[in-house]
Amino acid sequence: MDLISLYPTWYEPTVGSGWVVALIATFHVLASHTSVGAALLFAYLSHKAYREDRDDLLDFIKKYGLFLMVFTYVAGSITGPGIWYSTTVASPNGIGALIHSFVWKWATEWVFFVIEVVGVYMIVYLVGRVDKRTHMKISVIFGVASLATMVIIVGILSFMMMPGKEVWFEEGGYLNGFYGTNTFIQTGMRMAFMFTMTAVVGGIVVASIKDPAFKKEMTRKLGWLGIIATLTGAAMFQWYLTSVPDQALLVMENRLPEYFQTSIIAVLAGTLAYFIITMLRPQTLVQGFAGFMAVTILVAGLWPEETARESMRKPWVAGQYVYSNQVIGRDVPGMGIESQLPIIEKVGILQAHPFTPDHLRELNNGNQIQAGEFIAMTYCSNCHSPSETGIRPLHRYFPEGVTQERVADYVKGVLTTGNIAYMPKMPMRDDEAEALAAYLVLNNKGGQPAVTAAIDLEIEQRERALVEKNAQDKIAAIEMEGK
Amino acid sequence: MDAQQIAQVTDMMYALRNPAGLPTYPIIFVALGVLTFAMHILFVQLLLGTSLVALYAAYNNHPLWRRLGAAMIDVAKVSVSVAIVIGVAPLLFVQVVYDPQWYTSNVLSADWVISFIILLILAYWAMYYFYFQNYKREDKTAQPKSRWSLIVSMALMLVVGFIMHSLTTQMLHPELWQSWYSNQGKLDFSGSQLHAYNPWRFAFFISMAIPVTGAMLVTYRRFKSVRSDADHTYLNFAAEVGKKWILVGSIISFVLYVAWMASLPETAGNFATSFWGILGGLGVIGYALWAQIRLRGEAKFCSYMALPMALVIGLIVATSREVLRYDILNGFFNYNFFDYKIVMDWYSTGLFFLTFALVGGSVLAYFLTIAWKAGQTVGVYTPSATVNKMGTVAIWIMVLWMIQFFAVGFYIWAK
Repeated sequence: MDLISLYPTWYEPTVGSGWVVALIATFHVLASHTSVGAALLFAYLSHKAYREDRDDLLDFIKKYGLFLMVFTYVAGSITGPGIWYSTTVASPNGIGALIHSFVWKWATEWVFFVIEVVGVYMIVYLVGRVDKRTHMKISVIFGVASLATMVIIVGILSFMMMPGKEVWFEEGGYLNGFYGTNTFIQTGMRMAFMFTMTAVVGGIVVASIKDPAFKKEMTRKLGWLGIIATLTGAAMFQWYLTSVPDQALLVMENRLPEYFQTSIIAVLAGTLAYFIITMLRPQTLVQGFAGFMAVTILVAGLWPEETARESMRKPWVAGQYVYSNQVIGRDVPGMGIESQLPIIEKVGILQAHPFTPDHLRELNNGNQIQAGEFIAMTYCSNCHSPSETGIRPLHRYFPEGVTQERVADYVKGVLTTGNIAYMPKMPMRDDEAEALAAYLVLNNKGGQPAVTAAIDLEIEQRERALVEKNAQDKIAAIEMEGK
Repeated sequence: MDAQQIAQVTDMMYALRNPAGLPTYPIIFVALGVLTFAMHILFVQLLLGTSLVALYAAYNNHPLWRRLGAAMIDVAKVSVSVAIVIGVAPLLFVQVVYDPQWYTSNVLSADWVISFIILLILAYWAMYYFYFQNYKREDKTAQPKSRWSLIVSMALMLVVGFIMHSLTTQMLHPELWQSWYSNQGKLDFSGSQLHAYNPWRFAFFISMAIPVTGAMLVTYRRFKSVRSDADHTYLNFAAEVGKKWILVGSIISFVLYVAWMASLPETAGNFATSFWGILGGLGVIGYALWAQIRLRGEAKFCSYMALPMALVIGLIVATSREVLRYDILNGFFNYNFFDYKIVMDWYSTGLFFLTFALVGGSVLAYFLTIAWKAGQTVGVYTPSATVNKMGTVAIWIMVLWMIQFFAVGFYIWAK
């Protein structure tokens, strides 16, 4: 049988499955980056507390640690696997590609993750219950473990954009897939920005310090950390752009929303201004101000940055061989992976998809809209929502009053041949292309209500035909018996 | 189902396998999956059981119950974290060898999968809310504030547990996937339904919270009894409750286990009466017997064995559960995880086991020693030279790990 590894499709009409992943991932980045940066900050502060025999620094660690435990560790530790869950339902072959290449890397990260979670409890609850030297040792271990979780995951994130080395396609091997220029630059960039987030979120805790002198000291410490990290991160981001494929830059120039660059520059400038103001006048640092900055970074900084990174990979979703619509679009001899395009070209997408219902495997006038919908969901919906809202809605790409013939020509001439930048090649038989075109035009005209009505009608006609056929068979059987 | 239908299901599952294959032998992932699932479910049961103690205590005027409730909410809070962090591992390993089944099950109930994340965060925050409302109070025998938040937390925890149970059950019904996706001929892309569940199986795993928490209470008495400020009346009370919970809980769990076995689908064949089917049930009831014999009186040594023994029982049940999955998917549907394509990668395989043993071993040995000793010390704990050295060694091992990570990386990059 010519089946390929395609799963059912989850269609979320309001925002789209891609945005669901992006929302969870963005929130996780804020939580996890803040935690890792804070872990290293704690190691430094705990060391200082031990050397200078200072209780106030340990109290600060306890307060900040408790804050992190409730907000970033609870939410971060759940949204971390939450990214797995959301990508599983939105992009099963994308996450499957990463899992199968890097399962041991994730398992190794898990060891550090366990240490990190046990460590945060110890750092918070053992302040004042163990001597300062022991607390320092726990903090150092906690800091290194946190950093290890980050450096491991960045290698996997880099692979999503592109395998570490080009030779991975020919030779395979986890090391070739994991390590590359992009991996190291992205590690540096993320480390810088994680300190920015640590400094901003830490401001919420510093704001509650009563002693003015200590508040001033901590504001300065976090301020310098934030300024240096933000400037370094901005420079690293420019460097990072030199390490991504040309295709990604092309997508970035053409496809990202206009507000992207403005938003990023505004956030960077605003963050620097925030640090300078609070350093000069520590009394301006109140919880509301720091909280506002944390939300600003989340909404105006991380969200565009993470969605940009997602968009830049198109048409691929993982390793430059799994398309965003889950089809494997390239041979990877080093891993024994073969492109699935030839199979689809041979039998069509409806025959190749393991979850095509039996009544849609062969096309006819009575199932065209159903089949068209099935193809659109499979091929398009990950990046283009068939609904009014959601991710890059399909209706925006077709002018009002467009004819089925015109859309069919477009599908056959552009999509099935892969003649469009940043979109996958989507092979289809002619009748499948016609069905997709019929669906797209109907969706363009009347939206989901029209599609649902047409599908209901097709199903009703199919059932009626079945009843009629059964009745005729029965009559024929009776007649046969009579003879 | 006839042979042709079964063959179609088999073909579909094999087609869904990830073509990248596995970096080592599949049995290793399955074994690690069983081990880590047993650890994960132990902490899930612990968090549920200790929350139940806290909840019961919150609605009970008995001062000893109130103190016990205050202590157990601390255990519940930590158990949630540990359950989550350990739960990552079986989630990882199931995707590796059972990706066709796990991914399909998830996509077909996608709304619930996303809800799982949100509800779990809310459940945890509700528990923290209860904790912060009460932890600073000097009088631990007073009625706790915001008891509703603990009820909300427990209810949500049970919902997220049920979602996970349903996803796992759906994996075992590949013959129904197509009908769930195309309901009466109409495709359903919404992922809005949970399609399969077995109430007995779910109830069994949840009910194990009772004996596991009983084991926790017995251990708690033993652990705290060495402190110079120990209140033995209170601690003995905790241990007696614990012993009762082990006995009653094991019997309840055993009955539910039998009900689960009696309600297995036809595709499971004779699993219920097979070696692993019977052993799972015997393990559960055997725990009650072990506790009756070994936890009499003070049971200084065996009190510390109560939780490890619960883990052993959990391992037996986890193995039975895994064999059941294998029996259904291989025995009935001819899907055999043993023949998953292997693209051997010795480096990453070796690095994981070395990290697990050396980094995990050295750090957790140091952390747990400190936590143990600090918990038994009144005032500030200052470790001995040996324990201090353990910390130094752990730090060096971590630093060396980081050095090798970048050294290997730069070498590969420069090559």
